[in-house]
Amino acid sequence: MRIERIGREPEFSQYMDLKEGWLDRRIFSDAEIYEEELYRIFARSWLFVAHESQLPKAGDFLTTHMGEDAVIVARQPDGSIKVFLNSCPHRGNKVCFADAGNTRRFVCNYHGWAFDTGGELKGMHEEYCYDEIDIDRKKNGLKQVARVAGYKGLVFATFAEDGPSLDAWLGDFRWYLDMLLDNEEGGTELIGGCIKSVINANWKFGVENFIGDAYHAGWTHDSGCRSMNNGEPFPPVDMENSYHASVNGHGWEFGTEGVGDLFLLGRPKVMEYYERIRPKMAQRLGEMRSQIFGSVASASIFPNVSFLPGISTFRQWQPKGPMEFELKTWVIVNKAMPDDIKDEITKGVMQTFGPGGTFEMDDGENWSNCTTVNRGVVTRHERLHYRCGISRQIEHDTLPGIVYRGQYNDANQRGFYQRWLDMMEADKLDAMPERPEPRLTGVSETRDVPGLFAL
Amino acid sequence: MTKNTTFKRPQTGQSASLELTHALTQTVYREARMLDDENYVGWVKMLADDLLYHMPGIETRYRRDKTDQVNDLTRMAYYNDNLEEIKKRLSRLETGTAWSEDPATRYTHIITNVEVEMTEKEGEYQVFSNFYAYRNRNEREEDSLIGNRVDIWREAGAAFQLVKRRIILKHNVLLSKNLNIFL
Ligand code: FES
Ligand SMILES: [Fe+2]
Repeated sequence: MRIERIGREPEFSQYMDLKEGWLDRRIFSDAEIYEEELYRIFARSWLFVAHESQLPKAGDFLTTHMGEDAVIVARQPDGSIKVFLNSCPHRGNKVCFADAGNTRRFVCNYHGWAFDTGGELKGMHEEYCYDEIDIDRKKNGLKQVARVAGYKGLVFATFAEDGPSLDAWLGDFRWYLDMLLDNEEGGTELIGGCIKSVINANWKFGVENFIGDAYHAGWTHDSGCRSMNNGEPFPPVDMENSYHASVNGHGWEFGTEGVGDLFLLGRPKVMEYYERIRPKMAQRLGEMRSQIFGSVASASIFPNVSFLPGISTFRQWQPKGPMEFELKTWVIVNKAMPDDIKDEITKGVMQTFGPGGTFEMDDGENWSNCTTVNRGVVTRHERLHYRCGISRQIEHDTLPGIVYRGQYNDANQRGFYQRWLDMMEADKLDAMPERPEPRLTGVSETRDVPGLFAL
Repeated sequence: MTKNTTFKRPQTGQSASLELTHALTQTVYREARMLDDENYVGWVKMLADDLLYHMPGIETRYRRDKTDQVNDLTRMAYYNDNLEEIKKRLSRLETGTAWSEDPATRYTHIITNVEVEMTEKEGEYQVFSNFYAYRNRNEREEDSLIGNRVDIWREAGAAFQLVKRRIILKHNVLLSKNLNIFL
């Protein structure tokens, strides 16, 4: 798909200097930059569209957005998953209005064109009105995305014909993702339902918060932490044994104490459960990753998915204009968990990171005001400070990615905006630099990579 | 039509007496006043020890879809709380560091369409109502939350306590940044 726009020269590097550690606020509020993001980032990235567990049977579907493009994600009779535009090729009407369900056909309300679950045109109301030369059914299906691929339960799609495979896109970040997706036999599933809310903020504020902003937690969420932990504040951060790791704009910030996020969930039974499976997790993922799991941590997958391993909120920040996003949240659990543990986690997530959650309630107000204050023309030209920990990069034998020491850091945020800049400026995706050079090239089964998880 | 079309409420039972209806109507109005005033100490006293406070998330589904989005307590919900869990949420406000609650949000709960019915259990009553909850904060942030409730209230001495509440908010996407409110 051609996404270049006529008459615009990308000069996005003027909006940041990540070596110096600053960003220009216009990237959080400017309407033209937002339009370019839709073309250059959302129409070219691998975007999360579903978890396989949401579509267990043939005919199961859900609707979502890739950027602002509405799409249908549907399970096929052969077990594969297809993703196509939720817009009829006849006059463009939206075809499916349900969030999710099961069906044999998607029938357009306007003139009754009917598509199968693969998006192919199968019939039209009063078909006799079309002469044979009028229509080629094969060419008038719902438009398919260019590529669909999965990683351990997560389904991604992209409008980009070429560019990296999903494995290459995730790269060494798969080493980290396995802590969420593969910490127990059987993998993960999403709990039924999806809670959505609207926040008047730029989508990047949500992503960058989860990618690296451990710093805000102790202040913004002091009240949340105390409410879930019998009045106790966050324990001090161990700057020596906590890290930021960034891979091609994805990022995971984490401690290695193993229990912090589990505490915040406020569910002793869940804590016990993970302690029980931790030795197995160590066999599966290695000592290092089994220690990281459960620690105070947060992560984002470029461009717009975030989660808290251990707390189990899983979320997507869907752009809805420069100053608005829709937050979609799910609860992610291990399939192998007994039902009562799944219930405990679900309740815990809703109590902490639902819209009425003791943590979530304090975030939206911050992001929203960080965004809307830029309506001021003087204000929006002011720089923002992203320099925390700028000299703390380290080489680590075990941890892949660009690694910085100290959980309080802007390193992953800088990594995210570096990738943002790479994509905004790249004419060809293949020309984008790898940051850093991958260690796991050619390896698809990251859990079993020898040598990497030897501590 | 399937139950998902309107999120059908429980069977209508026998109406309560004028006196009981009046007492319970006043009770839900009093509760609303406490919530408006952020008088959560007073509000918690109106809640029974075995409380279930449930507000499910409602996906948009086709009419033919039989997924039970209301009664299935394992699905995602805004609230699916017992009394202890409600108290945990409220304890955030007592820390003095809930920054986004200062300045305070201005609340108004409008409660209407109150119907009171007898239940099978002696001393427990089913109360249907609709709510319109309005929030306004800082300069010009505002939102409206509108929906139905089905409650079970139990006689407790001279007053009533809330045993069970199911709230159906009519949003699909919550059109607000958070839910710092009880309905
Ligand atoms: S717009 Fe879909 S059938 Fe005409
Ligand atoms: Fe936060």
